[in-house]
Amino acid sequence: MGRIGLAHYAMVAPVQVLLLAFIFVPSLYVAWLSLHHSSYGQIPTFVGFANYAAITADPVFWRAFWNTFLVVNLVVYGELVLGLGLAVLMNGPVPGKRLIIAILIAPYAITEVTTVVMWRYMLTPDVGVINYALDSIGLGQITWWQSRFQALGVAAVLAIWQHLPFTFLILYASLMTVPTELREAARVDGATAWDEFRRILLPLVMPALLVALLFRYITAMRLFSEIWLLTGGGPARLTEVLAVYLYRQAFSYHDFGVASATGWMMLLLSLAIALPYLWHVYRQMFRHA
Amino acid sequence: MLEQPWHVRATRYGLVAVACLWSLVPILLVILASLKEPKAIFEFPPSLIFTPTVDNYVRLWTAWPGFFADLRNSLIVTTGATLLTVLVSSAAGYVYARYSSTLLTLSAFFMVVVRMLPPIIITLPLFPVVNWLRLNDTHILLILLYATFFVSLSTWIMRAFIKQIPFELEEAAIIDGATLTQRLLRVVLPVAAQGIAAAAIFVLIFSWNEYIFALIFTTRNAKTAPVIIGEMLGTAEGVEWGVLFAAASIQLLPILIFVILVQRLLIAGLTAGSMKG
Repeated sequence: MGRIGLAHYAMVAPVQVLLLAFIFVPSLYVAWLSLHHSSYGQIPTFVGFANYAAITADPVFWRAFWNTFLVVNLVVYGELVLGLGLAVLMNGPVPGKRLIIAILIAPYAITEVTTVVMWRYMLTPDVGVINYALDSIGLGQITWWQSRFQALGVAAVLAIWQHLPFTFLILYASLMTVPTELREAARVDGATAWDEFRRILLPLVMPALLVALLFRYITAMRLFSEIWLLTGGGPARLTEVLAVYLYRQAFSYHDFGVASATGWMMLLLSLAIALPYLWHVYRQMFRHA
Repeated sequence: MLEQPWHVRATRYGLVAVACLWSLVPILLVILASLKEPKAIFEFPPSLIFTPTVDNYVRLWTAWPGFFADLRNSLIVTTGATLLTVLVSSAAGYVYARYSSTLLTLSAFFMVVVRMLPPIIITLPLFPVVNWLRLNDTHILLILLYATFFVSLSTWIMRAFIKQIPFELEEAAIIDGATLTQRLLRVVLPVAAQGIAAAAIFVLIFSWNEYIFALIFTTRNAKTAPVIIGEMLGTAEGVEWGVLFAAASIQLLPILIFVILVQRLLIAGLTAGSMKG
């Protein structure tokens, strides 16, 4: 294949320049900015860890943190259970499989904005299909516009609806690699369906399951539009999540220092969650080097 | 595969049907409602058979002319971001597939790490810089941002596909005196066409649908369709649902059809991009 030369590095350069210019350098700058007081038309002044102190003393931040924690866990584990169940269901013979998969992945094509449009329509007070139906069978309405936990629950349902295709596809693709002979052999030995799932399918899809889990943890933490377009973080900032808190600090209150400190905390949290995966990738990559 | 008893099969089909309804009903409700008279939009139960009207679409045209300009912006930004991503990822993916050095491995690891960072944080430093460079509210800024967040996935997908192409094919071209560029354009990329498509799909869907960056960095000239749909949902004087549904339907139908057509490549790309190290 020849030796690697300058021309080859030049071919890699555009990708790396984009990543450096638009992600890496800005991230470092955010770290620097998080140690400064900064607003429009002001020269940033160094304040040490004051922004971090301000955040950790702010009850709104902690509420946003716990809201994020709640929604992320609902979303990630909800998707995992539903995605795995669906992958197992679709793994057997099903008539019209291609069409069904097309239907199942349809939400992946929809913008988050339209997802919110759909669910707000169905959950319109008094007249939306879901609220009307719930109300008329005596269950009362889902009052996402005034109740903190109902709003967060709705946001979680929205996020699950939107991202289930991703989790499902990853698990489905990995289930397809399980040899049929293995499952048939187990059946012949008298294994029940549950045995077969727990002892054969689950261990074999575990790597894919962990990757899906980790990727969804990291991406679910970025949750913004679902809350922003559903409640705007209200009423009275009760339903804010971390990304909405950051957005408000930066673009409503123009406090870039506090927003940066929030951002840097989100970044560290993401890296902490990703650490086992990154370590695994690192070891794999440098095994041969 | 062993034969399943009939009640097991019936339960399975039933559950699959429920899952299909869960996926499809919200989308169908919106598309159907976009063809209904305003007073029929909140009928219960929602009627499936009715005389369709294009009133909402006409009203969208007259009351929100900006929507169609924004749709055009979405098209420009999506095309630009997809082309840029494919171009730079093909070049990089080739090198990662064919060569190795410590520096390359380090840069590959760097690509994996930056994928973990939350995109929203980069809006903070970029906001003033972008204003200063007068890149605010331009297509090129969104194109660069969208491409940036997908070059690592796309490079990885290209690398996986190019690795499967035997190097002997290229050797034959080398003997014929082909340069690196000629080899790439005439030998490698035509064979890796599927990989290119898989690498393009993800950034294309993302760019068409993206909301936060467009919300923060565009105001008028480069505003994209999702942003104006968001504005229609947030109007203070009450949401005009019929018009909103017309806009949402126009935005979602092309991309929905596209996703259904490329579902196989979507699965191939996901497997190549996220499974292997």
